[in-house]
Amino acid sequence: MTRFHRQLCAGLIALIIATAGALWLNAKYSALANYAYLTGWALLAGMFVLTIYNVRKKLPFLPLGKSETWLQIHIYLGFFTTLLFLIHLKFGLPHGWFEIVLAWLFVLVSGSGMVGLFFSRVLPRRLATRGGEVIFEKIPALRHGVKTAAEELALGKDAKSPVIAEFYAKRLAVFFSGPKNFWHHLVESRRAAGALLAELEDLRRFATEADREKIGKLEALVRQKDGLDYHRALQLALKLWLFVHIPLTYGLMIFTILHVVMVFGFSGGAR
Amino acid sequence: MPDAPTILERPQRWDAAFDANMTDEDVNRLLFTAPFSGMDAEKFPKRTPLREIIRNDMRILKFRKGEIIMRQGDYGTSAFLILQGAARVVLKPDLAPSLLGRQATGKKGVFRTLAQLWNRSRAPEVLPRSILGQSSGVSARQNENETRVFLQDVPRILDQHRTAQMTGGEFFGEIAALSRMARTSTIFADSDDAELLEIRWQGLRDLMKYDDALRTHINKIYRERALASYLRATPLFKYLSKEQLDHVAEAVEFSTFGDYDWSGEYKRLAQSGSVRPEKEPVIVGQGDYPNGIVLLRAGFARVSQKFGGGERTLNYIGAGQIFGLNEIAHNWRNKDATTNMQFSLRAIGYTHLLIVPTRVMEDIVLPSLPKNELPPPVAKADDDIDSPPPEIATREKVGAEILEFLTENRFFNGTATMVIDLDRCTRCDDCVRACASTHDNNPRFLRHGPSAGRLMIANACMHCADPVCMIGCPTGAIHRESFAGQVVINPATCIGCKSCFTNCPYDAIRMVEARDERGEFLVDQEMKPIAKATKCDLCVENHGGPACERACPHGALTRMNLNNLDSLSKWLKL
Repeated sequence: MTRFHRQLCAGLIALIIATAGALWLNAKYSALANYAYLTGWALLAGMFVLTIYNVRKKLPFLPLGKSETWLQIHIYLGFFTTLLFLIHLKFGLPHGWFEIVLAWLFVLVSGSGMVGLFFSRVLPRRLATRGGEVIFEKIPALRHGVKTAAEELALGKDAKSPVIAEFYAKRLAVFFSGPKNFWHHLVESRRAAGALLAELEDLRRFATEADREKIGKLEALVRQKDGLDYHRALQLALKLWLFVHIPLTYGLMIFTILHVVMVFGFSGGAR
Repeated sequence: MPDAPTILERPQRWDAAFDANMTDEDVNRLLFTAPFSGMDAEKFPKRTPLREIIRNDMRILKFRKGEIIMRQGDYGTSAFLILQGAARVVLKPDLAPSLLGRQATGKKGVFRTLAQLWNRSRAPEVLPRSILGQSSGVSARQNENETRVFLQDVPRILDQHRTAQMTGGEFFGEIAALSRMARTSTIFADSDDAELLEIRWQGLRDLMKYDDALRTHINKIYRERALASYLRATPLFKYLSKEQLDHVAEAVEFSTFGDYDWSGEYKRLAQSGSVRPEKEPVIVGQGDYPNGIVLLRAGFARVSQKFGGGERTLNYIGAGQIFGLNEIAHNWRNKDATTNMQFSLRAIGYTHLLIVPTRVMEDIVLPSLPKNELPPPVAKADDDIDSPPPEIATREKVGAEILEFLTENRFFNGTATMVIDLDRCTRCDDCVRACASTHDNNPRFLRHGPSAGRLMIANACMHCADPVCMIGCPTGAIHRESFAGQVVINPATCIGCKSCFTNCPYDAIRMVEARDERGEFLVDQEMKPIAKATKCDLCVENHGGPACERACPHGALTRMNLNNLDSLSKWLKL
């Protein structure tokens, strides 16, 4: 059994036990007068532990344990907190704009976390399989190099083929001008790049022997650019979800604190 | 028309003399000095005459009292002969690291650890006065062409340490130079007129080859000082009595293969794409008669097997490992069905090894071993060419592609190589941020590097078993934390000479321009920026181990000793 499978088994078992326990407690004690306070505080504690993972990340020089362990706790506690959230809502819908915003924030934070988990488990393997590893920040410079090479082939001073020049102006210039086919790459579709390569291949019918060689080189550049777009798309997806997850987490925490203040402010004191 | 080939004069061994300023007068003088005066010049071949060895592989150095000639723990490529004056060797206790220009590092305390929260510099590569002004007990002075480090308080050292004086005619440093081991002692000049002859490794090797007296002398020293203790610590000989061990030590032959300056050669070959096992020097050939077991003392060797028109790598072995025992034990037990060597052993880079002859193995060593410690009989390679024994066939554990990749890139040299599993790495750069946070906002590695399949070796210091970066550091600024520890750089004594930066075959050292606390560049009297070498220090001062490894949320990054592929194979299967 691999470490990944061990972690998965241990996490799932812990999650199932915690879920069963929570549901049992919910069935037994939900009629208590202060039950909403109890579930609310439990939910807040869970959210607090989830949030401090980001603090751990900011303090790598302190011996606070492995980030990997923290992430495992973060994932499974995240699932359990979602259950606590539903229990706190009594499996119903929120009332009033404040509660609705708060609930939406929770849903978006949990949802983006799950999307992030899915991306983290699936996309790295796809990037490794595709090969051509490249640093995200270097992609624009590399793309520019590919574009310059393609321009030189099609429109440079040695370019004498109107067929290639026209095709470049109509189809390739746009393709080489910036990142393309984000969604295609994300869903692992090769249709867009395949269609462009097929058009280039088709161009050979009208090309001279010398032009065919250039078409071959252009095809290689299209593949290279497509590889860069692929890496950009997947690496961007691996980063983007965090730009949703983390700012919304801070929003959620602010709304949660306001929620606690309001609950105590309008309830005539905690019971 | 094809382009005309670029024609160059073929590089020759002595294109770059050790010291271009060696004059005829110097050479003549040395030819009349012992031990060269006693050497028979006729015994040297025409291509490498004694006179030219002296002219090209030696240089004369002058030291003033207190100047350090060699430091304990350094890796050197040369031996020294005292021509005039005296030198002093420090016996016990060893000199403190600060006296050798090294950083006396320790783990950070609680306050210093927490202070990293608010003490981080905004500008890159800030070197606070507290680090630069470190009282090291040594100072540097610029001689004609090089920087010399000298001990500031020699009388105190003589008072507090047991030392011994060496005078004209004495050799030192030859064992470390020949076996590429760390220097075992610190030696400094003991008179203002100390004149020493430094002999680089290639010259020493040739002198030993053609002069019986020097060879016998160095062999004797080697056997006395290094061999006996090494053999005693080798598990294969643990059942031998003292007399038997002495007998083995007497019969052991030692040899070196490959190029001492392998890092430069490797860089050149790697750039031309011509790193091929077929070009590596053969130590033992597949099909050869087993003349003895090979014990690797330093460096690395590739175990390979003929495959089609080439050689395929089965494993690589490093210091302390043995080759050829299986065949010799097999022949000893099966005198009617003997076998030849099943695999080839080739030197990768530089390899220093000991050979225990078959006769000694059969008469003394093998009879001493309990039956259960003898290797199993050899299944001839011809019988089952695709199934080499498991202890040889590391390729089965990590996969052929990864094994060839690690070998061709010489990554087995790393004792703390940064290995990234691309199947798990989300490219989040938490490792880089953690490194920067731990090093005053300066990341000490690049999360990128050569890759094979799902494995990437990031551009970070690997803390090599054979740290070629440490060869030639004039001030001892780059050093090991301990004899088997991390390779670290003391910024206070680094003079920015780029010696380590140029030597590192993996491009893991960077030169940076240092700044002061205000973010202004530090400059010398000529207003030139002060450069310092920097690299990964494995978070030696921090608690909990390397921050990069602990920061990876997906367990995709580890620091690993690639000389043992079992751990890599286990990690990849996780």
